Amino acid sequence: MASLFRPHHNVLARLSLLLLAGGAVGGLGGVFFYVRSPLARGMQDPIEQPIQFDHRHHTRDEGIDCRFCHNTVEKSPHAGIPETQLCLNCHSQIWNQSPLLEPVRKSFFEGRPINWKKVNDVPDFVYFNHSIHVAKGVGCVTCHGRVDLMPAVEKANPLTMSWCLDCHRNPEKNLRPVSEVTNMEWKPEGDPVEVGHALKEQNQVLTRTSCTTCHR
Amino acid sequence: MSHHQSAGSERRSGALTIVKRVDPPRFWRSLEARSRSPELIEASKGEFPQGADQLADEPSRRSFMQLVGASTALVGAAACQRPNQKIYPYVRRPPEVTPGNPLHFATAYSLEGYARGLVVESHGGRPTKIEGNSDHPDSLGATTALDQALILGLYDDNRARQITHRREPGLGPEPAAWRSILVMIAERSEKLAQKNGAGLRFLVDPSASPLQADLRARLSERFPQAKFVAFSAVAAEGAALGNKLAFGRPLETRHDLAQAQVILALDADFLGDGPEQVKLSRQFGASRTPGPAMSRLYVAEPCFTPTGMLADHRLRLRGSEILALAQALVVELAKQPGLDGLAPLAGLPRAAASVDARWVAALAKDLARTRGKCAIIAGRRQPAAVHALAAAMNSALRNVGATVNYATPLAIDGGVEALRGLVEDIAAGTVDTLVITAKNPVFGAPADFKFDKLLARVPLSIYCGMAEDETSAAVTTFVPVAHSLESWGDGRALDGTVSIIQPLIHPLWSQVTDTDVTAAFLGEGDKGSHDLLTTFWKKRAIGSGWATDVSFDGLWESWLAKGVVDRTAAQPESGLATNPGALAGALAPLVAKAVKGDSIEIGFAVCPKVFDGRYANNAWLQELPHPVTKITWDNAVLMSKATAARLNVETGDVVRIEAGDRHVTGPAYIQPGHADEAVTVALGYGRTVAGKLAKGVGFNAAALRDSASPWFARGVNLARTSRTIRFGITQDHWDMEGRDPVIVATLAEFHKEGSHVNEKLEQQRRPLETIHEPVDYSQQPYKWAMAIDLSKCSGCNACVVACVSENNIPIVGRENVRIGREMQWLRLDRYYEGPVEDPEVVVQPVMCMHCEAAPCEYVCPVNATVHSDEGLNEMVYNRCVGTRYCNNNCPYKVRRFNFLDYHKEPSHVDKMATNPDVTVRSRGIMEKCTYCVQRIERKRIDARVEGRKIADGEIVTACQQVCPTGAIDFGSLNDPGARVTALHADPRRYNLLHEIGTRPRTAYLARIRNPNPELA
Amino acid sequence: MSAPGHAQGNDAEVVLDPLDPRPFIEGKQTDKSLNDSLFRHVWIVPGKGWLALFTVALSMLGLLGLALGYTLYKGIGAWGNNNPVGWAFDIINFVWWIGIGHAGTLISAILLLFQQKWRTSINRFAEAMTLFAVMCALIFPIFHTGRPWFAAYWLMPYPSVQGIWPQFKSPLVWDVFAVSTYFTISLLFWYLGLIPDLAALRDSSTSKAKRTIYGMAAMGWRSSGRHWAEYKWSYLLLAGISTPLVLSVHTIVSFDFATSVLPGWHTTIFPPYFVAGAIFSGFAMVMTWMIPARHFLGLKHVVTMRHLENMCKVMLATGMMVSYGYIMEHFIAWYSGNQYESDMFFKVRWQGPFAPIFWLMVVCNVVTPQFFWFKKLRTSIVFMWFAALAINIGMWCERFNIIVTALHRDFLPASWGNYAPTWVDFCLFTGTIGLFSTLFLLFLKFVPAVAVTEIKELRHDTEHETHAAAAGGIHP
Repeated sequence: MASLFRPHHNVLARLSLLLLAGGAVGGLGGVFFYVRSPLARGMQDPIEQPIQFDHRHHTRDEGIDCRFCHNTVEKSPHAGIPETQLCLNCHSQIWNQSPLLEPVRKSFFEGRPINWKKVNDVPDFVYFNHSIHVAKGVGCVTCHGRVDLMPAVEKANPLTMSWCLDCHRNPEKNLRPVSEVTNMEWKPEGDPVEVGHALKEQNQVLTRTSCTTCHR
Repeated sequence: MSHHQSAGSERRSGALTIVKRVDPPRFWRSLEARSRSPELIEASKGEFPQGADQLADEPSRRSFMQLVGASTALVGAAACQRPNQKIYPYVRRPPEVTPGNPLHFATAYSLEGYARGLVVESHGGRPTKIEGNSDHPDSLGATTALDQALILGLYDDNRARQITHRREPGLGPEPAAWRSILVMIAERSEKLAQKNGAGLRFLVDPSASPLQADLRARLSERFPQAKFVAFSAVAAEGAALGNKLAFGRPLETRHDLAQAQVILALDADFLGDGPEQVKLSRQFGASRTPGPAMSRLYVAEPCFTPTGMLADHRLRLRGSEILALAQALVVELAKQPGLDGLAPLAGLPRAAASVDARWVAALAKDLARTRGKCAIIAGRRQPAAVHALAAAMNSALRNVGATVNYATPLAIDGGVEALRGLVEDIAAGTVDTLVITAKNPVFGAPADFKFDKLLARVPLSIYCGMAEDETSAAVTTFVPVAHSLESWGDGRALDGTVSIIQPLIHPLWSQVTDTDVTAAFLGEGDKGSHDLLTTFWKKRAIGSGWATDVSFDGLWESWLAKGVVDRTAAQPESGLATNPGALAGALAPLVAKAVKGDSIEIGFAVCPKVFDGRYANNAWLQELPHPVTKITWDNAVLMSKATAARLNVETGDVVRIEAGDRHVTGPAYIQPGHADEAVTVALGYGRTVAGKLAKGVGFNAAALRDSASPWFARGVNLARTSRTIRFGITQDHWDMEGRDPVIVATLAEFHKEGSHVNEKLEQQRRPLETIHEPVDYSQQPYKWAMAIDLSKCSGCNACVVACVSENNIPIVGRENVRIGREMQWLRLDRYYEGPVEDPEVVVQPVMCMHCEAAPCEYVCPVNATVHSDEGLNEMVYNRCVGTRYCNNNCPYKVRRFNFLDYHKEPSHVDKMATNPDVTVRSRGIMEKCTYCVQRIERKRIDARVEGRKIADGEIVTACQQVCPTGAIDFGSLNDPGARVTALHADPRRYNLLHEIGTRPRTAYLARIRNPNPELA
Repeated sequence: MSAPGHAQGNDAEVVLDPLDPRPFIEGKQTDKSLNDSLFRHVWIVPGKGWLALFTVALSMLGLLGLALGYTLYKGIGAWGNNNPVGWAFDIINFVWWIGIGHAGTLISAILLLFQQKWRTSINRFAEAMTLFAVMCALIFPIFHTGRPWFAAYWLMPYPSVQGIWPQFKSPLVWDVFAVSTYFTISLLFWYLGLIPDLAALRDSSTSKAKRTIYGMAAMGWRSSGRHWAEYKWSYLLLAGISTPLVLSVHTIVSFDFATSVLPGWHTTIFPPYFVAGAIFSGFAMVMTWMIPARHFLGLKHVVTMRHLENMCKVMLATGMMVSYGYIMEHFIAWYSGNQYESDMFFKVRWQGPFAPIFWLMVVCNVVTPQFFWFKKLRTSIVFMWFAALAINIGMWCERFNIIVTALHRDFLPASWGNYAPTWVDFCLFTGTIGLFSTLFLLFLKFVPAVAVTEIKELRHDTEHETHAAAAGGIHP
């Protein structure tokens, strides 16, 4: 009786085995890179807000300091989203007829908050605290990126745990004088590493990596 | 935290102003703008249409997200989706509100007529945690377990929301509007005024509130013939009457145990019951430090109480036999030199009961020895005779003015006897308008009054209550009222110190208060309690020259800020003395008609969990293990082993108790140390009209209560039925099995060099050989540790509820407690020593020991429980996969596993009670005590931002902060000056299960007893 | 390829071991007769008996699905586990099944290295059991966790975005490696052994479909000399690899308990005592299935009384080791003077609420095997079957004693608890038995239950040696 299988079937068999192994490795590798990709982390993806607020205009053109609006950043876990009244402090004078600002006026007169969309979000079992980071000379730009160049704000960093840990293990490269925290263009003068070490001393930076530092 | 809720609270607290910054820094301030302006009512309507529906998404978005947070971790792992969360900023942010930082407001809460000062933590407009007000004389910074549970009571979903009115008794209730009720009251009071208020009765809650007193005065002017009856199901009537007998006028007893060396408690649970309990616990705790000045406590009681558990000598007597003891003591005392003044009382005919003569003799000597520095305290359940004798003995012992004081009552006192008058009036048909602000009198009134039936005879009965209950079902008009944390009012401490009760949040549902209803009869029902209050106090302040019309507002702010009004303490009477001769005459008839009969005696007890039943719908309290029996979600028929044996009853057997034509059935529980031939049943259970939690929990002992003998009765029959139940009990093993987790010693043994106990203590703390080099924490900024003094812990449960409230610990329900799945992180282990008939008790709080060599850590496969650089044993919820290996390997079994999704779909209001600083754990996760790490981290960040170190005492754990006796201390062992460092070096210090080599960070201080050598 | 003197060999009864003259293969067999008899059950249409059993097995498997589904929906709270008793049926079943898996490897690997010819008739059978038992066991490490959807991959060491790794100090992590390695090797070993038979099936199959399927499975085996050489070589190699596994796997499982501080767990004797117990229960399980199988599949001529008796002897030996373990535990508990230990053994296990289970264990695991001292009993099919059953039960009780009894009363009397299983627990246990039976019945249907090639080989060897004997090589 003629054999069902011919020599070339061996090749097929070997190939399929190869594919099996390759597929497994490739699949896992793919996942490995995907979860680290900006796509998976929701980065470089400008979020549309109920009001077309343009940070470029306010910070660059008007030169308003971050803390003018995000004014609890130095004393609270939350940086603080400006209350409607704060917007109107200026905009009752300028652009007070602009249709773009209608939602703001509506919010003010109806006493209903503006529903901003969250851009930089961490899971709720993560207790991030702005005040301590700012007090120790971690600049806004370090985590939030060049907000002053964003027409609509987008997530600039992965905000994964390993990303946080990188800095908590070696903070030097991300430190600056406390006076410069809101400066978007500050660059260390001289060797960044040396400057970093000096600043670590100066700002008494004692980063911790114990779990309860962030998880409670 | 929730910005939207803040937005809401902002509207409420617009004009908040910082008044005082105390150390540790916290803002206390008033909520002035919460006065009920029409604009506000509008706003609130918008905010809470029919219930808290509007709260659907935001109010505690964070906690809700934390709820699903752990599952969100999946997403977190491969967070491949846009954040779809919203941020709701303020519209107008009040200057002092910083989103993310809690505020603290001073207020007070009245129970049994007297107010205890509280400081309430508020997150974004949500009150989340109760603390004591250290400036308040009856709090001194601590609270009771009941106070702690107020938060959950506030957010109780079952609270009534709709006013109902019956056109006349018998007709069905119809929904009514507050306005129409006001109109009705106005018309009715017109009519009543014409006949001088004849037929008008107010059944009120005992209260020392100056505002209420003022309203009563003004009402009496308008309705001269109106009567005010105060009623509390558990009022201490005997005390009032007894003091009247002793001193000729109604006086109120106050105690001061700061100097007391010998204390005798006659069925008085002064550490676990009554308005004084927190203050007395603090003083007594201080006096329990071993040394020459260590106090000695004698207790005579039918059934164990926290006080009895701490006693140095405990005599188990049936409640009615305490009188015999008091008499026997008088006889013995009269024999002592200088006390023969008591002789006339010694001559009284003796109540029938056999009392251990040796015990009494030794006690008498001890009291005589420490005259002026001892105290005899009679309990609320004891009859006038006992209180009178106690007063006589105290004054003979020159204790009056030192450890015991008497003062004119501030609260109108009332109880069964007071109610009897009203009952007779109603029966006689002379009452046509009854306003009830007392707490659920239908449920609490003695059964023989048949109060619910009587109410049907009153044409108009208005009841103010927080939830639908037995009374609201019997009245014509039911007005739901706001919670104490939602309303304005005032109250007085037992020493008279006034506190202003200020609201923490805009009423979730009903905005009406008792005050409004009462004031309605003066035509001021629409003014709102805030206006009434300020008007009254302004008048009072200006009248007594404290302030001018101008400066009042500032003064008012300072009152609200501090939580107490200075210079309002009332001085006790001085120069009081009893006349034993006269007293003897007065007492003779009372002694004669003391409870008699040789059948089983039934004693009714105030429940340390649901009190008189008013907290029956509070899950935190229902699931709280009873301080003595450790029973949750039930009351029981407690009896001694001997009695149980005689009745052929076992724990869990349902017994039928018959008293006359009335009977109840309830499960029996064999209670070591219970008096023989007696049973104790707790009041407050078996609610029929109540919230979903309270219904069908336990049995209503009050159904057996007779107005003739409301506390102790003979002539009851007990019979076993065929049914049995299984209690939801958290500790069913009593014996220490010779393992001595609690080291107990007498003062003498402890002071003896190299005595057995000292050796044992040394053995239980000296460093052990180990192959692992212990980690050196001395270089760390902090080395957190705890110390628990077992000589002070009375097992009062305050810490357990505080922990539940602070750490969002879920409630699992009776079924799950039965199979051992209770979640409380802190448990109070209770062991009996000695004969089961009359044992001694020790209580031991056990929570995570934060072992330096923690057995739980090396077995966790995923690094979910690890050690911090400062030696905390950390539990990382979001990393936990729930193998339960850690708990298996924990020698202390202090870990708690979420077997089911206990937080599944909490109601919106339940969510409001959660602490946003603590993750809410989902199903399948292990949890445990964290040393309140959220408090540590908050303080750490504050300190680091200010560039300083955390000072000793700055971080206070929830259990430590609330502990009335001060048994718990927390701090850093790297701080040589810290209290905890000293306590860890104390000669009484030992480690629990030291021999395993876990090196726990929580140290225990041995329980030292101070028995009378003569009774040794 | 038959040796000279073939005919003569056919006449002579095959005799190998002068000490035990009984043959491994009964009756006059030829390659053909063996092929026919041993492949028969693959080719015939499954009978009513098989179908009935299969239906039962499937429905039990359904219970498993139900129980697991309900557990996923409700949480571990669906089980009886509670606060002191964190592990119960879940881990009991895990350890029990892993244990059962041990007989296979022992027989196929160690007995092979020791050249125990009698293994050939039962190794295929036992190896299959190993696989299926380990599959049953593998359910629990994942499903006993509160959040299996994380446990499934957080227990694996991989570079995660969280920047953390498993905790390699934890015996549970060692388990993951030990058990998965064990499963992989066993699978390879079993499959390699199958290849020649699959080829034989291919060649004797009647339909094209069957030929194709068996053909692909046989991976082009043509029993060329080179094939045989490499086959032998790699078979020996795998035997070498899996031999240490027999000892390591249950040793590591025992570490789950031995490394803890719990009285009743914290014991150095656990590793050997667990391994012995594993083989003990493994053989019992093989016995339980072998006896009916040989009867219904007509394998009596290759699975002879001699095989069964040998297995009884192994059970007697391992049973004694286990008993020694029990005695040692108790001795140390007393001798150490450690109160927690002595209370655990002499109070809790002997007199506690679960004492009946302890004493049942003693009867099943200590008393039962002693009957195997008597030839009459160890050659009685009925007795040995019931004995094997008893041992299966006894070993399950042993794990209950170790896990639940130790947990429910540990150090602090105040935290003592109790335990009662729920219907889900029972469904879970029954369900795993269902899974095992299903896989096993399928195995019996589609591949020969005994290693036909090896049997044929054995026949040739023995025949050859009897020649030598006849030529006066060996004197009885």
